[in-house]
Amino acid sequence: MMKKLFLLFAMSLFLFIAACSSSSTSSNDNDSSDSNSNEGKVQITWWDYNAPEATQQAINDIIAAYEKENPNVDIIRTYVPFADLKNKLLMGTAAGELPDIVAIDNPDHQAFSAAGVFADITKEVEEWGEADQYFEGPMSSTMYDGKNYGIPNSSNNLALYYNADMLKEAGIEPPQNWEELMVAAEKLTKEGVYGVAVSAIKTEQGTFQFLPFVWQQGSDLDKFNSQGTIDAINLWKELVDKGYMSKEVIAQDQEATAVQFATGKVAMMVNGTWQIPFLEKEAKVNWSVTTLPAGKEGSTILGGENWAITESSENKEIAWDIVKFIQKEEHLKNYLQTAGRLPSRKDVIQDPFWQNDEHLKTFADAMEVAKARAYGPDYPKISETVQEMIQQVLTGAKSSEDAVKEADEKIKPLLP
Amino acid sequence: MSQLESAVERKVSVKDSRKLSKKLKNWTAYLFVIPSIIFICVFMLFPIAYNLIISFQNVTIMNLAGEREFVGWLNYINIFKDVNFTVSLKNSFLFTGLCIVFQFVIGFGFALFFNQKFPGRDLMRSLMLLAWMFPIVITATLFKWMLSNDYGIVNYVLLSIGIIDQPIHWLTESSTSLLGTIIGNVWIGIPFNMIILLSALQALPEDLYEAAKIDGANYLQRFIHITLPLLRPTILILLMLGIVYTFKVFDLIFIMTAGGPVNSSTVLPLYAYQLAFQQFEFSAGAAVASIMFVILSIFAGIYLWMIRKEEQ
Repeated sequence: MMKKLFLLFAMSLFLFIAACSSSSTSSNDNDSSDSNSNEGKVQITWWDYNAPEATQQAINDIIAAYEKENPNVDIIRTYVPFADLKNKLLMGTAAGELPDIVAIDNPDHQAFSAAGVFADITKEVEEWGEADQYFEGPMSSTMYDGKNYGIPNSSNNLALYYNADMLKEAGIEPPQNWEELMVAAEKLTKEGVYGVAVSAIKTEQGTFQFLPFVWQQGSDLDKFNSQGTIDAINLWKELVDKGYMSKEVIAQDQEATAVQFATGKVAMMVNGTWQIPFLEKEAKVNWSVTTLPAGKEGSTILGGENWAITESSENKEIAWDIVKFIQKEEHLKNYLQTAGRLPSRKDVIQDPFWQNDEHLKTFADAMEVAKARAYGPDYPKISETVQEMIQQVLTGAKSSEDAVKEADEKIKPLLP
Repeated sequence: MSQLESAVERKVSVKDSRKLSKKLKNWTAYLFVIPSIIFICVFMLFPIAYNLIISFQNVTIMNLAGEREFVGWLNYINIFKDVNFTVSLKNSFLFTGLCIVFQFVIGFGFALFFNQKFPGRDLMRSLMLLAWMFPIVITATLFKWMLSNDYGIVNYVLLSIGIIDQPIHWLTESSTSLLGTIIGNVWIGIPFNMIILLSALQALPEDLYEAAKIDGANYLQRFIHITLPLLRPTILILLMLGIVYTFKVFDLIFIMTAGGPVNSSTVLPLYAYQLAFQQFEFSAGAAVASIMFVILSIFAGIYLWMIRKEEQ
């Protein structure tokens, strides 16, 4: 009996290993016999965090196309989960084992550039001459100290999703400014439904959602201790205090907010472009999307990822050639559409795909004003201070004036 | 003369070969433990030493690949000055203390209960273990939902039977957030305590109890004078393991509250994580990890001391 069991175990283990090895070789698009004859080829390593199968396919198509045009190059792509990428880059830096090309979340770009992990490609970008095709926001996230350390790949930004049926029932139009937002939130709040939701969680997401409100009142991180910031946090505080927004927002990430919106527990929410595929598939409500309500001015925040070439790469020229290749419209468009992301390029965004869809158009139009979080290499610490400030005020631990003032004192020395 | 010499030589050579064979024997014994020694060195001693070294340097993202400077106790001094460290330290002890007390007492209760014979006992015992077998991600998410203000079942039940008239903001109020995570962790810890105590209870000799019964000892007396003393070694190791496990809980709190609101549920592991992987202050994070290591070593020392006393 035991023997049989052992045999079974050994068999399954063998099969498992066989399955693993065959899949790993096929993902390199090379048979093992082939790679022996590959010795003259230049190997380029590549990390990105595109998870869904369709998106991975789009990425692999681009890689296959490049390898076909450049038979002397062998691209080895590694998928790294989004949450692990930063840590893996840090470990790779410490161990001296980094890929040639890497996709990175744009608020982290400057920190890694300042640390000397990414290569300065200012000259190459100038020679290329397509930099002016990019929106200012995404491009600024790749810059540090006046030098260019990467190229934006895709973008997203925040807007206001609303439950069209609930607004109709309450007889109101989608709010365009803060006053209208407050009125709408009041009218939409009823038993079991909150008027509006943001994500004020103690992670980067909290800062990401809060900064646009700060900018809308003309404030910013470099003049944080100003009336604009206090207005912004007071707006959130008032929504919570009056019961139009759940107090739970301080523990809800953007995905949790989207789920509540999709099930009709929240009438309006601040959320990003990437929620569209989820809502189209799962939402049980009739929804639409409009720009974030304006304060003194309209504003939204930019998310997305950039390509960077590492300083340690031995084949920077080829790596740069690949990055340029990805940015060609025919390759980029297919990838962005499959991945549900916005182009960072002004020429690509003119495509009917983004212009004719009412939801996508709202986000596409906002790209002109979307601001990046480009606050130097200490941004993670600044962000942490902002998160703490938001939570201090929303839980009533501190008054908004005190909390903002204290945060400002901590942020000042961290700005570049 | 030559005979004597050769005899001596023989003797010596016999002695030598004996020594040699003994040595060889020892060497083969060492050979067998080499894999575990390598394992311990590579996966335990090296990381601990590396962590210690980093905690005395100034490693941030800026010099991760470059030159690192030795800065002495600076990281430790900065941490001790940081108000968030004091908060996390206090939270860590509160969290560990309360979790251990509750999960031990409740677990003991269950162990005594399941030590009796009644129909359906084995099934229920296995069901109890489920809590221990669930991945923490699931447990933490479930508790987050159950303790939610608006649609959480805990508030719903408490409101319906009239214990409270306002929903409790379990995880979103600074005063209760740590308590919320403690509830979740106690639930996970109960089955572990129960199963260890139960197996020890079942190994206790029946005749002692019979003798005590004949002498007229009641249930409480038997519990205090027979069960507890006999279980002492088990209880000690259980508390020790419990303290170590609980002191380093990270995932549960990270999922339930992420340390918030405003650090009210931040414990030392979370604080170290924030420093190292969110703010890229690797040396500061390493220093916090070293402090945790020292604290846990003290607990381990106390445990060893008590065990030794026991044996004497």
